[in-house]
Amino acid sequence: MDIFMNLTLSGLSTGMMIFLLASGLSLIFGLMGVLNFAHGSIFMWGAYSGVWIYFRTQSFIMAILVGMIMGMALGWLAERTIIRRVYGRHIDQILITTGLMLVLNEVLKAVFGPNIIAVQIPPLLAGSWELGGIIIVKYRVFTIFVGLVVAAAVHLILTRTRVGMIVRAGVQNQEMVQVLGINIRQVFSLVFMFGAGLAALGGVMMAPAIGSINPNMGLENQMLAFIVVVIGGMGSILGSALASVLVGLAGVYTAWFLPEAALAVNVLFMTVVLLIKPSGLFGMGGGRNS
Amino acid sequence: MDEIANLKLLKKAEWLRPGKFLASSSWVLMVLVLILAVVPLMTSSRTTLNLWTEIYILGVFAMSYDILLGYTGIVSFGHALFFGTGAYMTGIIIKNTGPTLSNLLLAVVGTIFLAVVISLIIGYLSLRVKDVYYAMITLAFAELFFISAEKWRSVTNGADGFSFQVPAFLQDRYVFYYGILAFLVLVVLLLRRFIDSPVGRVLQAIRENEKRAEFLGYDVLKFKLISTVVAGVVASLAGIAWALQQRFVSTGVMAVDKTIDALLMTTIGGAGTLYGALLGSGLTTLAKHRLGDLAKIHPIFERWYIIFGLLYIMIVLFFPGGIIGTWKRIWNKKIT
Amino acid sequence: MILQLSHVQTFIEQFHILQDVTFEVPEGEVTVILGRNGAGKTTTLRTIMGLTPPAKGSVQFRGEQLNGLPPYAIARKGIGFVPEDQGIFSDLTVEENLSLAMRKKDGATKTRLQFVLDIFPDLESKLRQKSDSLSGGQKQMLAIGRALITDNHLLLIDEPSKGLAPILVEKLAQAIREIKKHTTVVLVEQNFALASAVGERYVIIDDGHTVREGKMSQLLQDRELLGRYLGITANPKSGKVV
Repeated sequence: MDIFMNLTLSGLSTGMMIFLLASGLSLIFGLMGVLNFAHGSIFMWGAYSGVWIYFRTQSFIMAILVGMIMGMALGWLAERTIIRRVYGRHIDQILITTGLMLVLNEVLKAVFGPNIIAVQIPPLLAGSWELGGIIIVKYRVFTIFVGLVVAAAVHLILTRTRVGMIVRAGVQNQEMVQVLGINIRQVFSLVFMFGAGLAALGGVMMAPAIGSINPNMGLENQMLAFIVVVIGGMGSILGSALASVLVGLAGVYTAWFLPEAALAVNVLFMTVVLLIKPSGLFGMGGGRNS
Repeated sequence: MDEIANLKLLKKAEWLRPGKFLASSSWVLMVLVLILAVVPLMTSSRTTLNLWTEIYILGVFAMSYDILLGYTGIVSFGHALFFGTGAYMTGIIIKNTGPTLSNLLLAVVGTIFLAVVISLIIGYLSLRVKDVYYAMITLAFAELFFISAEKWRSVTNGADGFSFQVPAFLQDRYVFYYGILAFLVLVVLLLRRFIDSPVGRVLQAIRENEKRAEFLGYDVLKFKLISTVVAGVVASLAGIAWALQQRFVSTGVMAVDKTIDALLMTTIGGAGTLYGALLGSGLTTLAKHRLGDLAKIHPIFERWYIIFGLLYIMIVLFFPGGIIGTWKRIWNKKIT
Repeated sequence: MILQLSHVQTFIEQFHILQDVTFEVPEGEVTVILGRNGAGKTTTLRTIMGLTPPAKGSVQFRGEQLNGLPPYAIARKGIGFVPEDQGIFSDLTVEENLSLAMRKKDGATKTRLQFVLDIFPDLESKLRQKSDSLSGGQKQMLAIGRALITDNHLLLIDEPSKGLAPILVEKLAQAIREIKKHTTVVLVEQNFALASAVGERYVIIDDGHTVREGKMSQLLQDRELLGRYLGITANPKSGKVV
């Protein structure tokens, strides 16, 4: 029972951090049709710059702030300079964001060094509680809490604000949004920046959770986020949230029983979803080739 | 009258266009082969010869990638898994059964068989959905293969890899050099043939306008599957050659970086030109060695990939045909 | 003239869809664009909106050049567009669909909302529902209503009667008559009965060229023209006109 609880908590925690990465990916794809292969790099930049600040200020709040600002700045810059030139050209988008990923990763190694950097959980969040024989790691609870807050906030923004309404409408029919006199390009920039900020937040949160950062963490987690997006359906925040939890839980349960197969289970999971419902479990039917 | 005269002129000019010229004549290839064939007469340095064979092998790998990217219009992030399958199959079989020609042939047959099966499975799963899914799904499968190679230590020795002996006749550096050169020429001829075949033409029609191809009654999925099988098999053969050249296999052959290398080579040289991939292989491989050497002077050169990344972004944005495509365009403008 | 197109040419990919489109739309009237399937009627509307920008020629709205402006800027000049597929955001509620079109909210918006609900009373009870749940006719009403919610001077409507039951077409005709009191309308319409009932002027497009324009009353007299470009041989008056 103890192990089960622990694994569940750990899976939820991982799931929530993947959600931070996947939600932006899913929104950016749903709205602009851009599959951003540099999303994981922005996540990693968030992690590195957050850790860098943390080492200097010993303040985790500063780390989160600076990490997110870094992510948003990179996202904004990437959208403004490169990505907006290839809207509507799917293949070029993949190629260009891959190039961006390469450059961002290499610059990151040049700035912070290519080696693994150990990261500790901030003292305030370190340790655990014991509840009736079950040990609950504080940091995991914290990540779950943050993930839920972000999910709720994104949901509220999407359903209650005008920008959110434009985003939801844009996911369905971009052209019509423009015809109503709305400059959707501005909304694109905003969503891209916002998505990048969430990814960076995910990076900052992930660093203490796994205890270290390394220049491969971007691609590794991006792949999980891709799996989440395929399972959850592009452009669906609710889908991303549920799929993230599923992927997180499937990952830790398998890792407990058969560590080698952790990723395999998720890839298998994704494969089954694709076979049954190519648009994702919660997608809006846009998956099929059209 | 005028029109006929113009037409004749145009026909004449057509011969001067490198597009026509490269596509129709095999003599460019012959000249190229002749030049490459004399390389061993100029140098007997093993390092230099190794560098050249590396360019050829990675060139074959990149050309197989061009079949997907340039001729079918799909982006795969899992191409390295075919390369890796070939390399591991060769390494494992030869290491466990001995360095003989028959074992090598066994490895080749096994590799081709596996490559066909894997590409059919992954293609069937991912080609039915939007093109971007293909990129994601192939990445996921590539990672799965990578992790399998890493974790299955009893057979692969994980990230440390293992070395093995190659069949005796391949140990001679000249034999090996000419063998690989012949392999390259063979692949170029076969791929050229494939591209100009009816199937190749349909693939290019799909790349131009998938909906129209579908409308014309072509089974798009079937043709894309053929494309991935051809690309997969050629990539796995390149993997075999790679293993034989390195005499060593580690998880690096399965890494996403390998696929991205192919993507870079193809795009920089010119996607959809076949020879572009080879040129790209030459440029990147040379840069890797030269700039890698410079890292002793200043560590910034270890990050030489930044330059290639930026160059690559510029090419995607401003010179979609890469070096060869852009050259063709400029040349055509001069003529007309 | 509120809208003037002169020698407009538009390409879609490599296809030369509009080759020479020239016509004028007088303020306060309903102009109907007629022509066979594939003649370029929809592309004409999309070209005016900037969705398929013209390669050559000029589109002028109240004397201002629209060429080269992005669709949203053209819309902001006061042009509403109701596409053939209606462009309803099915994931949004009816109210959200309407409010998305309100770029600024003031007293006037409220009056206009009331105006929309007056001509399309069906929508009032459905405001809070997902627009997915609307019937085909109601979706058309929502689409037109949405284009009326801002103070547009010109309304482009693409085949509003498509797929509607005759009784709904009748309602639609009434609505258009109501709308034209405030707004100039350009209508693409295959249903000639509807077109002739509401239209004051006509433009015929054939194979990417405007071939004739003039008063609807004159067109109704011209058997030869009707037969040649619209394939109408019987007396249009004998058909039931709404």
